[in-house]
Amino acid sequence: MNNQNPIPPIPPQVPPPIPPVMPASGPRSLGDDPAERAAIPNIIVAIEAILRQPRRVMFQLRQPGAGWLIAAMLFVSVLCSLMYGVVAGTFSGGTQLWAAPVKIAAGLMISALICLPSLYIFTCLGGSQARLVEVSGLLAGLLMLMTILLIGFAPVAWIFSQSTESLAWMGTLHLIFWFIATVFGLRFLETGFSHSNARSLTGFRTWVVIFMLVALQMTTALRPILGTSKTFLPTEKKFFVAHWGDCLKGHDEASKSESQ
Amino acid sequence: MPAPSGKLNLIEISVLLRGEPERIAAWAGQWSARRLALPVIVIIVGAGLYGAAMGWWRDPQQAFYVAIKFPLIILLTTVGNALLNAMLAPLLGLNIPFRQSFSAILMSFVIAAAILGAFSPLLAFLVWNAPPMSPEAVSGATYSFIKLTNVAAIAFAGAVGNARLFQLLTRLGGRRAVAFRVLFAWLAGNLFLGSQLSWILRPFIGSPSLPVEFFRTTGLRGNFYENVFHSFLQILQQFD
Amino acid sequence: MRHQNQNRSDGPVKIVPAIEHNPAPRLRDRQSVRLGSLGVFLRARPERLREWMLCRQLNLMVLCAVAIVIGAGIYGAVMGSWRGPWQALYTGIKLPLAILLTTLGNGLLNGMLAPLLGINLTFRQSLSAVLMSFAVASVVLGALSPVAWFVVWNTPPLTAAMRLSSPEYGVMQLTLAGFLALAGVVGNAHLLPLLSEWARSVSTARKVLFAWLVGNLFLGSQICWVLRPFIWDPSRPVEFIGREYFHGSFFETVFEAARRLIFQ
Repeated sequence: MNNQNPIPPIPPQVPPPIPPVMPASGPRSLGDDPAERAAIPNIIVAIEAILRQPRRVMFQLRQPGAGWLIAAMLFVSVLCSLMYGVVAGTFSGGTQLWAAPVKIAAGLMISALICLPSLYIFTCLGGSQARLVEVSGLLAGLLMLMTILLIGFAPVAWIFSQSTESLAWMGTLHLIFWFIATVFGLRFLETGFSHSNARSLTGFRTWVVIFMLVALQMTTALRPILGTSKTFLPTEKKFFVAHWGDCLKGHDEASKSESQ
Repeated sequence: MPAPSGKLNLIEISVLLRGEPERIAAWAGQWSARRLALPVIVIIVGAGLYGAAMGWWRDPQQAFYVAIKFPLIILLTTVGNALLNAMLAPLLGLNIPFRQSFSAILMSFVIAAAILGAFSPLLAFLVWNAPPMSPEAVSGATYSFIKLTNVAAIAFAGAVGNARLFQLLTRLGGRRAVAFRVLFAWLAGNLFLGSQLSWILRPFIGSPSLPVEFFRTTGLRGNFYENVFHSFLQILQQFD
Repeated sequence: MRHQNQNRSDGPVKIVPAIEHNPAPRLRDRQSVRLGSLGVFLRARPERLREWMLCRQLNLMVLCAVAIVIGAGIYGAVMGSWRGPWQALYTGIKLPLAILLTTLGNGLLNGMLAPLLGINLTFRQSLSAVLMSFAVASVVLGALSPVAWFVVWNTPPLTAAMRLSSPEYGVMQLTLAGFLALAGVVGNAHLLPLLSEWARSVSTARKVLFAWLVGNLFLGSQICWVLRPFIWDPSRPVEFIGREYFHGSFFETVFEAARRLIFQ
């Protein structure tokens, strides 16, 4: 049969592009993902980023002009800790409605300031290449994440504040919330340092213990945050373990006298 | 590391803290009066802040005095033993010139002073939370706790400084055994002189029953090792 | 592969391979979530639930809220009916209220915990997800209400002889609590595949679910403590909420009871 109409060749199908092979070992470097390189223009984006894209925050802290981001994070931390302080102050009411927020915000900032030099030293000793500005920024990130989470706990804290009269119980509850929030904040900080070519995180982990102790002692140094007092600050110096022991003893005695 | 300029560069301190061997060796090999100004300033500021925190428990005036005395001890020890250390190094197998041995020891004290300076806010916070110094407080757990905290902080800073010094000496000498010998000799000499200087320049924390002074008038009577020896004899006499 | 063959008389035959790709999955967002689609909602697979959360969030949230109010409300009314009609009314209001207050009270926290633990949900999406699980639980409760009512109907009424320690009261209490627990388990079991679908990882989904559960149980227990009673308080008349219920907390009471048990 005559083939007057030659069959045109079937054009070869263009195969789909093969996606690049991701390196099997090692974490991705900061900035590899284009989403991480997007600038953080305002506070709301900073809050969203620290929850959903922490690597973006870490990357932006390394860029020139990170100062405004650090200032924004500190501003959010102060604001959120003031708000949480109001919730904590509703337990006792009265002057605690303004004293508790001031003490919580100031205590947090002062604790961070006290611990910042040792954080820089310990991370340098661990081989981290992070500069002081970046270290300050990561610490500000920790504070922001901590205080944002405390705002998340605020409704729960408020419910309990309105329904219980036990100082020891409310103190324990606030400490538990603070601890959980701090764990997430420290996770952010540790991840930040793991991207700074640190050879070892042992020094950082030692610093974590120091930071927790300073923060716990600050709650005692600025007491009362719950409860009432004639003076704004305590007249007697105490370490936090002794103070907790005294509070628990007082709680036990109150329970025994109630049951009698 | 950027080429050495005459300007003070705080980034060099972080290089020392990170312990980058090539950079530290290059740093120790350079000598100029201006380059030595930064380490001296770091020692004065870092050790001074720590000393102030130490003395603050007794009195603000005590804080001022210790802020001067603590860096003074470090600098006097470094300068006082400079010639001896420079001679010991080649004798023990590490052929480095005077300038390099001096820079190396200064580097270790810079690291220690930077660490102590970073710890000074923590010590100040601890002192702020302690009850005021009184005979009861001094005989109680608070004084022991503060004393132990000071010992731990100074020991840590010293250990890190010497660890970095050991790394540097190993790089300069090429052999760990030589580096260890030289480090041990330098440490022994510095501790010997430093203990006596500390004895002369006491008090640091202070005592509630004694007035606040820059140094005790009895400081030039006797010495640290004599005092340790007498204490040792007293203990032995208890068992006779 | 299909070949389109032109009529030969029209010219050269062109054989053009028409490769049919799988059509892109279209979101069937035209199927709106109506009340009549309760069965569709309960039967929906995680992918479909996810689509609704993305495209019909408001409708979904309204459906869930209505399901909670009706389902848990009916069950609450049954719980309280043993004490009396007013208790039935109060508990019919309080049980859905406890669920909704727990969801809203923990809304912010749950919305933060999800991305921190690895699932990138927005606040509204996490709220929808939690509401969905409570809605499923409430629908189960509503479905079990006739059975619960039958148990309550068979329990001897409140008389001078009836005490908290009476076995009949114990059976009723346990049955009602058991149904609540069952509904809760079903609701959470419904949530886990959705979270796994979203996270593409079962372990991440479990972490988030666990964190949400802990938070919701913590707050929910205290809200229920404050809103007591649900069945009966022998020492008080029937009231919506007594003033003394603002004293103390659930966990304080449990802790003190445990301490007395262990150390006495």
